[in-house]
Amino acid sequence: MLFLKRIGFVVLVFIGMSMLVSWGSLWALRQSSFYKPSFLVNSLSEKSFDYIVLGASTGLTTLNTKVIDSMLHTNGVNLSMDDTALSSQYLMLQHFLAQGKTTKVCVLAPSVKDYDVRTNELSGNDYRFLPYVNTTYVYDYYKQFKGVDAKVLAYSKWFPMLGVSYYNVELFYPSLVALMQPEKRNRFDATGNYVYPESKKASKMINDLKSVTLDFKNPYVNKIKALCKANDIELICYISPMEGKKVMVSSKDFLVINHSDLLKDSKYFFDAIHVDSKGRQVASEQFTNDIKALRK
Amino acid sequence: MLFNSLDFAIFLPLVFALYWFVLKPSLNRQNLFVVLASYVFYAWWDYRFLALIVLSTLVDFVVAKLMHRETTQTRRKILLLVSLCFNLGLLVFFKYYNFFISSWVDAWQLIGVSMQTTTLQIILPVGISFYTFQTLSYTIDVYRKNIEPTSNFIQFAAFVSFFPQLVAGPIERASQLLPQFSQKRVFNSEFAISGFYLIIWGLFKKVVVADNCAFFVNQIFDGGGAYTSLELFLGAVLFGFQIYGDFSGYSDIAIGVARLFGFSLMTNFSFPYFSRDIAEFWRRWHISLSTWFRDYLYIPLGGSRGNTWQGIRNVFIVFLVSGFWHGANWTFVIWGGIHALLFLPLLLIKVHRKYLETTRISLGQLPFILFTFVLVTFAWIFFRADNASMAMQYIQDIFSFNSGSVATFYKTPKMLLFSAIIVISISILLLFEFLAVQKNKKEVVLTTYTAVCIAMLICFMGVFKNPSEFIYFQF
Repeated sequence: MLFLKRIGFVVLVFIGMSMLVSWGSLWALRQSSFYKPSFLVNSLSEKSFDYIVLGASTGLTTLNTKVIDSMLHTNGVNLSMDDTALSSQYLMLQHFLAQGKTTKVCVLAPSVKDYDVRTNELSGNDYRFLPYVNTTYVYDYYKQFKGVDAKVLAYSKWFPMLGVSYYNVELFYPSLVALMQPEKRNRFDATGNYVYPESKKASKMINDLKSVTLDFKNPYVNKIKALCKANDIELICYISPMEGKKVMVSSKDFLVINHSDLLKDSKYFFDAIHVDSKGRQVASEQFTNDIKALRK
Repeated sequence: MLFNSLDFAIFLPLVFALYWFVLKPSLNRQNLFVVLASYVFYAWWDYRFLALIVLSTLVDFVVAKLMHRETTQTRRKILLLVSLCFNLGLLVFFKYYNFFISSWVDAWQLIGVSMQTTTLQIILPVGISFYTFQTLSYTIDVYRKNIEPTSNFIQFAAFVSFFPQLVAGPIERASQLLPQFSQKRVFNSEFAISGFYLIIWGLFKKVVVADNCAFFVNQIFDGGGAYTSLELFLGAVLFGFQIYGDFSGYSDIAIGVARLFGFSLMTNFSFPYFSRDIAEFWRRWHISLSTWFRDYLYIPLGGSRGNTWQGIRNVFIVFLVSGFWHGANWTFVIWGGIHALLFLPLLLIKVHRKYLETTRISLGQLPFILFTFVLVTFAWIFFRADNASMAMQYIQDIFSFNSGSVATFYKTPKMLLFSAIIVISISILLLFEFLAVQKNKKEVVLTTYTAVCIAMLICFMGVFKNPSEFIYFQF
């Protein structure tokens, strides 16, 4: 009996305190701008946007909304997050709409290979939505996936200590930063953009281009399309520049801006699929020009 | 099944509840249940190798019984040889076969003879070095007439396969553990609570100290020559804490789990980084293995009796064999050799028992503790390196004194965070151990409130995503 009492006491106090700390941790993150999901809630005072960019690291580092807005006199925001998949972008769109915000255009800019993924999995940075696990769309999102990571995140709805301890480096410590500096953002600027530093690669023309065909088989393409349609949002799929690859796109009932072979010099690339600051400037300007041409 | 896994978190309470609440009145049923639970625990990793444990159990049980009946010394010796050959044969085949073959080929190549050989794709069964040594101690003790053989097969099977210490020790002696399986189990709350707190402390050492250290250790040891002298030295220091947290953490959890079932296992680590010389380090590090080698190898060889040269020979044999026990790689042999070299001066000037009686340390002994720690740290480089030349290069790079920069530990926010966690966790570890040393305790004793605090630290400082396996599983 003494054993059960003592162990019960330790376990209960431990669980109680851990739950309290975890709850506080998620609360602190919800009040901050540290990650994109709370940034869009706390730092974007505007209710309506001309466009939003939803994507992975390619969308985050290629399309500079400041360049686009200065050329088109629009109001846009980049809601892309690195290491995320189309499913995460769908979740971000749901989250955006759930805040009562609207946009005329949604520019989808995931990793190119993600367009044709048939079986979606939890992405590396999906934990960033955990502060909103009490919402139906975030909980349902985690619940649909298999594996320990997804289970931990889903059960965090009732036991936040599970997710906060499992992702302690990613959630608990940032929440301490968020408590002290609620306005601090995790590697993105006031409009959600991030840029890779200037590449040190020497100038070298890219002559051989390997062709890749996209069929948009990922079921989340249709889900995003349907959600956009239901909210009167125009969907534009953007294919970011790649070093040595040309993407061939089958015709679709949405607009595709294909910049896969836009940059023909290695000096514009930070790595095989990411542009550097120079490449980003060129791509953003070309994107704007393409939009202008389409609008005429 | 890993101690720091969700599987074990479900397995342990289930086995505990059945053991105490369903099967308690019957000792035989409890022992049989321990055997079954242990087999499930082992089979979780690979059920095929269960046969080895069962076979080893059968052979040693029968050999010991026959040996006890025999009156002629020659036949007793033959039976002991059967047990030695069987157990060491398993170990040699599964652990050292490929090593011996490749070393044989390398040796011939040194004199210009090239040979064609075939190595086998052999999986090393987890814990084979531990349970073979445990069963060997049983037959040797029966041979020496130190213990009577047991006539209860279930009790013997439970002794061999007892899941808390099956895969990474402590390597228990039959004289200490086996009689516990024949004693009626009485649940002792204080004993079980101490076990529960020891599990928490062991988890802290493993999940917080060791696994966070692994973040830098893996980078630095696998990173080629990309690090400064100071970073390399700190990498070796962190490996010292990683392997200590990992292995002693496992031992603490094993001892703690055993206590929940009413069993007392031997202390395996006694604050080794507070050792004031190498001799004391070996009285505090992996005690169950070092005492095994002392009793079954060093003393039969003559120990420190005889002339100086015999003493030196015996020390070298024990340390080299002990190194080789760890793995089929020359790095472990060199590691053992280094410790032999560090131990010898103490033996020769007869100060190797200087700190035998007193464990409490004073401020004036701090330089000796630090000096011993640095020696041990350099030896760890061989233990961690993939091969001897890599270890030599690592040490050479440390002594190149190329730069005092430690940017690796703070150049990104994540690295800075890991550094902070490591500094805090190692400080807590050393503080608790220091207090235990000063109080002459054998282990860190947590109170209810410190247990809660340590559990909280595990929760928010531990590594749960992609946890590392216990290092000693590979041995």
